[in-house]
Amino acid sequence: MEFSLTHKEHKPLQINPIKHSQPMGATLAFLGIKGCMPLMHGAQGCASFTKVFFTRHFNEPIAVHNTSVSDLTAVLDGGDYSILMAIENIQNKEKNLTPSMIGLHTTGLTETKGDDVRSVGTHIEIPYVFVNTPDYEGGMESGWSLTVTAMIEQLTQAVTYIQPNTLVLLPHVSMQPIEVEKIKALCEDFGFETYALPDLSTSLDGYWEAGQGKLSNGGIRVDEIRDLATSSFVISIGASMKKSALALQKKNPLIEHIHFDHLMGLDANDNFVGKLMEIRHIAPNAHLKRWRARLQDAMLDSHFLIGSSHFVITGEPDMLTGMCALIRSVGGTVDAAVSTTFSEVLHTIDAQKVFVGDLEDAREFFDGANMVISNFHSERILHSYPNTALVIRGFPNYEELGNQLKNDQLYEGSAYFLFEIANVLRKVKHEH
Amino acid sequence: MVSRAKIKELMNESACSHSKEKKPGEGCDKPKPGLATGGCAFDGAQISLFPYADAVHLVHGPQTCLGASWETRETKTSYLGRDHTQMGFTTGITTNDVIFGGDKRLSNSIDYVMEHYKPEAIFVYSTCVTALVGDDIDMTCKLGSQKHKIPVVPVHAAGFVGSKNLGSRLAGEAVLEHLIGTKEPEYTTPYDINLIGDYNVTGDMWQYLPLFEKIGLRVLSSMSGDGRVGDIRTAHRAKLNVIVCAKSLITLTRKMEEQYGIPWISVSFYGKRDTSFAIREIVNALGDLELITRAELVIAQAEEELETALTPYRQLFAGKKAVLNTGGNKAWSIASSLQDLGIEVVATSIAKSTQDDIDKAREYLGKDGVLMTKPASEQGKIIDSTGAHILLAGGRSLYTAIKKKISFIDVNQEKKTSYGGYSGLLNLAEDLKYAFRNPVFANVGKPAPWEVN
Repeated sequence: MEFSLTHKEHKPLQINPIKHSQPMGATLAFLGIKGCMPLMHGAQGCASFTKVFFTRHFNEPIAVHNTSVSDLTAVLDGGDYSILMAIENIQNKEKNLTPSMIGLHTTGLTETKGDDVRSVGTHIEIPYVFVNTPDYEGGMESGWSLTVTAMIEQLTQAVTYIQPNTLVLLPHVSMQPIEVEKIKALCEDFGFETYALPDLSTSLDGYWEAGQGKLSNGGIRVDEIRDLATSSFVISIGASMKKSALALQKKNPLIEHIHFDHLMGLDANDNFVGKLMEIRHIAPNAHLKRWRARLQDAMLDSHFLIGSSHFVITGEPDMLTGMCALIRSVGGTVDAAVSTTFSEVLHTIDAQKVFVGDLEDAREFFDGANMVISNFHSERILHSYPNTALVIRGFPNYEELGNQLKNDQLYEGSAYFLFEIANVLRKVKHEH
Repeated sequence: MVSRAKIKELMNESACSHSKEKKPGEGCDKPKPGLATGGCAFDGAQISLFPYADAVHLVHGPQTCLGASWETRETKTSYLGRDHTQMGFTTGITTNDVIFGGDKRLSNSIDYVMEHYKPEAIFVYSTCVTALVGDDIDMTCKLGSQKHKIPVVPVHAAGFVGSKNLGSRLAGEAVLEHLIGTKEPEYTTPYDINLIGDYNVTGDMWQYLPLFEKIGLRVLSSMSGDGRVGDIRTAHRAKLNVIVCAKSLITLTRKMEEQYGIPWISVSFYGKRDTSFAIREIVNALGDLELITRAELVIAQAEEELETALTPYRQLFAGKKAVLNTGGNKAWSIASSLQDLGIEVVATSIAKSTQDDIDKAREYLGKDGVLMTKPASEQGKIIDSTGAHILLAGGRSLYTAIKKKISFIDVNQEKKTSYGGYSGLLNLAEDLKYAFRNPVFANVGKPAPWEVN
């Protein structure tokens, strides 16, 4: 089979897929809004699968409701009935539930029947954001960014002034809660009042309390989203988030947009930190300088093991781009970078092969690789490759614990990630 | 295609105990918008058929259906070929297929699967989108079957037709229509049975199958734990259908009784008493005296071995009380296991149980046991009033255990070991031992330094 980067599919089906659907990305984005009730407009299974998927990945209760479209409503209803009934039923059952917002998104089923989810909003008193996310288009990454864009377009108020030293961070879908927190903290260290949209760092970060699982536990507040256009800067991380940043700029052209494809490795972070220094005219704190030195050290310490190794990496386009860049920066050879969906940013990846595919395709390269960086599903397949190591990243990671605390971003995360890879590589390369 | 008449029939299963209390035509509850929580019909169908590791399970639909569900269940197989159960196959349809139909993609996918994987059969699952756009899955499967000379079975359980339970029934229908009775077994014995509804999760079946072997029972086929497609095709020659802890496949066994004259019984292999009872039910149903005698010997020996192994645990568990908050048949089957270990079950949840399950729960817990209808609000009070030592429940109840500072076991979490049969009871005892010993729930809830006064 010829593996190259094109829009075209190279086979009629997916075998051991790595791609996840748009509705799942939408649900996850809504989970980063405080008090939000994510409402999936589809058959009950769509929500049930999504709930189990994220519950197992984060080991947290996941709040997802659904409109349980049935065979009858699939044909007769235009969406109004099942959406309004769902909201009414939930409120009748949970008297004390006061969602700050209803985050409604569609699925393949309701897109196929062509429901008008926009007009339903006029009958709902709670703040309502809708987004069209058919699962026969795009993937998790686009579902997430479409939802962020929808929230900005429908909630954020247009203004003509900016507050100095305020910043909006738009992280891509593959960033884990701790990664969002670290980036936010860095911006705050530079004196920015920082908001992340969505903000998983305070909602799915492993914090427990009573009554979880009905509404999103933490995240950015709805009133904060309303006021986002007063920010002086918007920083998008990941190519998928560019459009969301432009949507915010439309609300207020005075906002300056700064974009980074990723924040992994020395170069990317030098650009990022350099830009913040330039804006604020201040030097970074001693802490950050220290972490840069530690990353330099990690690169030198790990370059021999990684530099002589071959990798297969799979994931969402934005995550894949960062990982490949970091590994290339210390000399690792990426034999295959396998993406869930197509994105223009894939053209920037430096790898022997870059293509959109599944684990059946990726497997073709396992034999020649020292390490695979992929999701949970690669683990079982790799049992047949005793000399190929695995580091699990991306969705889903069903079995490992503490996924929300894995940080691969910035100087700090990149250093830890390099050491982790090198240590795992050592086991397959030198210990037999 | 699946017809409304068929769904209506399945929703009004006459063999179901709770159908008797409903008005004619009322049948099972339809999912209510906003309130449905469990899986959909497709999920149920997949769960019922996935364990056939020698077949490829091809999901004809968009990304969510399979992308989020493959390799999520610990169904074990002894199949020596490639284990297709733990693989994911989907047509992953795109906008083009929604507009122009996905039949061509499906047919190409079947060809691809045959060329690269050569399974014994292919199950093709329709999903909401492909059912709605009207792909002719029946015809594509029929042509695929003729071309490749293996069964290509259409499974019509699109998510919107109903719940997980209905999906399992629809999977039963597909197997009955397309597989059962299409092949003759190499030989038969008077002790041939079909196991229906055990999916061999964490190897549950392997806890009791060695006993069957000792007794002389032969499992002709399984629907579908550790099952083979070739075997289920011969299921019509069995002497008895044994349903294991599954209400959803009653329709299948009732129809097999009507079509092939195979009687059926329903049993459970959780706990000592239920396992012994199940074995007796099976051999009595077959009615062979020699078999019954052998079964008694095997039961006696197994129970004795178990008793010896359990002695140290019994001392450990003496005087312990448990509250159980889980759904369906687990409400009584886990209660039974706990009682077998000498633990008093003071309350169990019947919030999601059928009438049969409620009756059984009452039987096991006795007149003083509390059957909770609103477990979320009741369990805390019951722990206080009874002084229960452990809560066995789903993850959502974790907070109750922390607040009450008692032990906790998440019974809904994906288990790694089986609690089935006699030997599974030892696994449960071992897990309980560590749970009772674990101070984490008391430790973790301590106030932070800044919360004191």
